[in-house]
Amino acid sequence: MHHVLILGAGTMGKVHAAAYAEMDDVQVVGIVDSDYEKAAKVASPLGAPVFASVDEALSTLDYLNIVDICLPTFMHKEMVFRFAEIGIDIICEKPIARTLEDARGIIDFCREKNVKLFVAHVVRFFPEYELAKKRIEEGAIGKPAVARTFRGGIFPTGWNDWYADFSYSGGLILDMIIHDFDYLRWMFGEVERVYAKSLLGRNLLRLDYALVTLRFKSGVIAHVEGSWAHEGFTTRYEIAGQKGIIDYDSAKEMPLVMKSKKAGKGAGGVAVPESPLKKTPYYLELEHFLLCIERDEEPKVTAEDAYKAVEIAIAALESIQSGKPVTLNSEKVHPRV
Amino acid sequence: MKIGIISFAHMHAYSYARSIQRIDGVELAGIADDNVTRGTKMADTFQTDYYRDVDSLLSAEIEAVIVTSENVHHVDHVTAAAEAGKHILCEKPLATNTVDAKKMVAVCKENGVILQTAFPVRFNTSIIRAKELVEAGKLGRILAMKGTNRGTNPGGWFIDPKKSGGGAVMDHTVHVVDVMRWLMKAEVNEVYAEVDQLITEEKIDDCGILTLEFTNGVFATLDCSWNRNKTYPTWGDVTLEIIGTDGMVSIDAFAQKVNVYSDDKGLAWDFWGDDMDFGLIQDFVTTVLNKREPSITGEDGMRAVEVAIAAYESASRKKPIYIG
Ligand SMILES: NC(=O)c1ccc[n+]([C@@H]2O[C@H](COP(=O)([O-])OP(=O)(O)OC[C@H]3O[C@@H](n4cnc5c(N)ncnc54)[C@H](O)[C@@H]3O)[C@@H](O)[C@H]2O)c1
Repeated sequence: MHHVLILGAGTMGKVHAAAYAEMDDVQVVGIVDSDYEKAAKVASPLGAPVFASVDEALSTLDYLNIVDICLPTFMHKEMVFRFAEIGIDIICEKPIARTLEDARGIIDFCREKNVKLFVAHVVRFFPEYELAKKRIEEGAIGKPAVARTFRGGIFPTGWNDWYADFSYSGGLILDMIIHDFDYLRWMFGEVERVYAKSLLGRNLLRLDYALVTLRFKSGVIAHVEGSWAHEGFTTRYEIAGQKGIIDYDSAKEMPLVMKSKKAGKGAGGVAVPESPLKKTPYYLELEHFLLCIERDEEPKVTAEDAYKAVEIAIAALESIQSGKPVTLNSEKVHPRV
Repeated sequence: MKIGIISFAHMHAYSYARSIQRIDGVELAGIADDNVTRGTKMADTFQTDYYRDVDSLLSAEIEAVIVTSENVHHVDHVTAAAEAGKHILCEKPLATNTVDAKKMVAVCKENGVILQTAFPVRFNTSIIRAKELVEAGKLGRILAMKGTNRGTNPGGWFIDPKKSGGGAVMDHTVHVVDVMRWLMKAEVNEVYAEVDQLITEEKIDDCGILTLEFTNGVFATLDCSWNRNKTYPTWGDVTLEIIGTDGMVSIDAFAQKVNVYSDDKGLAWDFWGDDMDFGLIQDFVTTVLNKREPSITGEDGMRAVEVAIAAYESASRKKPIYIG
């Protein structure tokens, strides 16, 4: 039995809690959130206690073996350090940290304290994304040449509007299209060069849009598009190779759409799409991490992968600021952006 | 009005010829082609005269020519036509370098003939509608654009740089760059590009992603790759997404299609929208009849070529190229 303490009852805390609720071998020992009512709503179906702070949780709980950090990005480091110090294995939402130095610090500290660290790059667990990788490996499209991805929707809302504060979230590039950076790197290997443009720094209220070109060492050219300027939320990819093309568009492949005639809760007359699966990608991800803990195995996405994803994102941000392409070189010290 | 066609090397000549035949009072008066087999066959198809060399077509009684020869020959054919006093519609890319493009613009001006660049995408009805929406201010201020003009590798002289001047970047940069310039009335001032030969075995660029900065601060990307494979349901695409402060518009210029599933060809997308090539020819004919400024000038053609050239330079130097 795993004893998991969840930090944060926001968007992701809720999703993770729902996944754990389905698992037989997990007991959520508590949910920590400074917003008590929010946490109570998430905790009550699990019968889990609510704590207003980590201090309160640690002084109350007898036992836990995993902490699951679903707090805003800039808080990840502090929380990882607290729990690694006391030998608790860690699941942390992506991005691993707000800066590359923090990411390195987190990884080093967890290693020093001999605790396991899993970063929730969930796209690797989306069946539609895994399938493309599998088919490409089987040679369905020949050698990959040009990849395009899209991820976006409306500007996210979070606690204290932390997404809108670049120094907290890293904006669209670090927070959102980091998913695609990780996914593409998973398929095509290391990135050689990054060039990017975005609306960052143009003082537009709750609007961001980014177009990033990645050149991989393998030769693949990838175009990564991110938007906090669209409506709804959609993701897309297309990978064109020497002998074929594989594509996916979440706005087109919709297995279930519900349209209610009843107005109310803002959903009246609005189509509500779902892609129901017995196990959601979040469930698969957390289940995998727990299995890695039990079996002492390497996860499908390592902390080092999470570091590399931040590295690509930071390079894109550097490129946006300098107007120049950024060549990736792990030895290089990146300025703080 | 009598129009001649110089060369059927570019397959667009075929749909331009058909368009000419659809317009009352306009006649396809002759075809010049250095390829005798192709030239006689086309003259036969369109029931017109065949000329072995360009000069004899130009000394015939025609008012205008359409130049659809291999890209590198545009400069000679346009120069000859201008000196013979014929108005000209020249296939894109206008030229394979800016020196030639400038020369073409100048010679047409000196001889007082119209030089129009063939950018049919401006006549795609969805693109026209998008322009109306932009001009009506529906999107607010434009912030960014994202375009694609992808296709199948056309093969033949297109993949011989000595005739085409370059591959996918030369072939597929200019249409969407022209539309972006036209929609915003702004110029490209910086180009960054990743370009490579990743699909074909021939030595020609077939994949490219360009990033552009415009004089009005808008940034954009353009995918010009020849990466539609044999079984893809269509030859290629023209798409454009425009992000503004008050909204966005997403254009898929050939989305007006039906899906045809056949045992022979698998899935094919069959287009039923308006014929943009016909729109282009109609516009050119009206321009010549009224002796007015062409809607798409030689300068427009030249600006788009500049971007393609800068993209090649950027890719080889691995840095953005300023062309302001
Ligand atoms: N994998 C994904 O698909 C995905 C999606 C969204 C967010 N995320 C990531 O998950 C993390 C959390 O994002 P979110 O959207 O859930 O954020 P959120 O704003 O919805 O939730 C954050 C929660 O933390 C609580 N909180 C803030 N400060 C606190 C403190 N000091 N102590 C205790 N609780 C505190 C807030 O009350 C809030 O409930 C971020 O790193 C984000 O990048 C991942």
